[in-house]
Amino acid sequence: MATKIINKTVTEFSLRITRCFFVPSKAIQTNAALFQERSETSITNVAEQLLPTIRPPLPIIYSRKLAFPPKFKAVRQAWVSNMDTVEEEKLGLIDLHPEVFAERPRVDIIHENVRWQQLYRHVSYANTKVKYEVRGGGRKPRPQKGSGRSRHGSIRSPIWRGGGIVHGPRSPTPYFYMLSFNARLNGLRSTLSAKLAQDDLHIVDSLDIPTDDPSYLEKLVEERGWGPAVLFVDDNDIMPLNITAASDVHGHYNLMPVYGLNVHSMLKHHTLVLTLAAVERIEERLLFHLNRNDAAEAGRKYKLDSL
Amino acid sequence: MAGVGNRVLAGTDRALDLLRELPRLSLSNIRSNPKAFKRNKRGRGQHGGKKHGAGNKGSGQRQNFMRLGYETGNNPFYLRVPKEPYYKGHHIRREYPPISLMQLQTLIDTGRLDTSKPIDLTALCNTKLFQLSPFENQYGFQLTDEGLDNFKGRINIEVQYAPEQVIAAIEKNGGVITTAFYDAPSLIAMRDPMKFFASGTPIPKRQMPPENAVEYYTDPKNRGYLADPDLVALERFKLAQKYGYELPDLKKDPELLPMMLERKDPRQIFFGLNPGWLVNLKDKKIFEPEDEQLLEYYRS
Repeated sequence: MATKIINKTVTEFSLRITRCFFVPSKAIQTNAALFQERSETSITNVAEQLLPTIRPPLPIIYSRKLAFPPKFKAVRQAWVSNMDTVEEEKLGLIDLHPEVFAERPRVDIIHENVRWQQLYRHVSYANTKVKYEVRGGGRKPRPQKGSGRSRHGSIRSPIWRGGGIVHGPRSPTPYFYMLSFNARLNGLRSTLSAKLAQDDLHIVDSLDIPTDDPSYLEKLVEERGWGPAVLFVDDNDIMPLNITAASDVHGHYNLMPVYGLNVHSMLKHHTLVLTLAAVERIEERLLFHLNRNDAAEAGRKYKLDSL
Repeated sequence: MAGVGNRVLAGTDRALDLLRELPRLSLSNIRSNPKAFKRNKRGRGQHGGKKHGAGNKGSGQRQNFMRLGYETGNNPFYLRVPKEPYYKGHHIRREYPPISLMQLQTLIDTGRLDTSKPIDLTALCNTKLFQLSPFENQYGFQLTDEGLDNFKGRINIEVQYAPEQVIAAIEKNGGVITTAFYDAPSLIAMRDPMKFFASGTPIPKRQMPPENAVEYYTDPKNRGYLADPDLVALERFKLAQKYGYELPDLKKDPELLPMMLERKDPRQIFFGLNPGWLVNLKDKKIFEPEDEQLLEYYRS
């Protein structure tokens, strides 16, 4: 009976705490103690056919080494949760690099990125005919002089009704352009930072779920208060079978490898869920590009007149 | 979250804190900075309409202009005023982007340059901190004397130009400096060796310096690569006397001696690779020419 009350308090508590940027160590120990009690006696809220989760003593993940130790910004911290139960269990607390996850949220750069993503592959197929393309209009309609009317050379000239269009759309018109490398890099940083700041970023240990039932995902997302649309990001592009099957039914739960991470998708989905491996990879890649001394090399791929 | 203890919220922290109160950032509530995108002003007659800035009648409106510089008959400016020789031959003049001794010392201290190997143009370009553009008449690097007093590195360096005091500073610390000339194709190969090897062209032979550079590179005072080594040794001694330092004996350090004495052949571009060789990075093989004519050409 006593354990049941503790269960409820813990669940509510865990859902309400938002990303604490500075968590005093005392709090972690308290939470760990609570979780330890819970894990010994708990039966998960999901259907009884699922086995109760057995875990080693928490916290499982409690430290992470940051590459390029931050000098001027405070380190951010985030909980690491699980995916194998509907209810959220916190497995630990990790450090996040502030240069990636606490960058100034530049909304104009985010807009630039979204605009670029939408436009660069857009091809306009709208077309209008120019005067020489419009059918007819080869003959001079009337002699130059004598009729008393205005002089014309062709009935399809742009000043005529039904004539050619001078500056109209010409199909196909590509709108391809490349946003500068740093704009794209900072777009990712700003969006990740905004997501973390607005509590829409969650970190899980892995995307392994116990069942391929689509309702499991629904219940999980509902229980944890994750937004209607969720984007799951993992390092590998081949995802576990269960989550692939479960999310396939829903158009608003999407799986994505790290190399596909982009600003538009992150904004379109309400919640962003990263695995630990994904966090490592994202940080490694972004910090590499931020700290490289041959930055010119990065943008050379799409430079048109390169020497 | 707001302020744990007496932490000051400023700048980025304030912005992130503000975001927590605002609605979720989404595709429908983002926008660009004002004036980021210019509106296409194609209003008919609205902006520059009617005569479209061409005036009335005459050659102007009829778009039949006189040639540029024509002054309706009188002797035009461009013929009347004689040329001054200020920029004569500017397109042929060689440029040498500078590297100061202070920068060089910093590179050594931060480990960007390996002092246990000879430093040449390739090593400097590999740091990715210096750009060299042979297409803009840049023929290599020159060393400047900024930071001369604090220079402590012991290096074997090869540059394209160095003044006397810089040579003295390097030799004082027990180093070796050479000035060498590289022609444009050699420079293009040197500044990005990986790209050059990937192109599949055999290593070219370095050309001799042009006429106005021969005197510089054959002079032992400049430590030119074409100068007599004995005379260079004499000049080293004389420079030590002039600037008043004890010329360190290179033979005292037998481990470093071979590295210090390592010099390139006048026709050589890369250390350890001869002209005419073809480097295959993918299969990790080097191919040499066997044909007599080719060998003779590359040896000459």
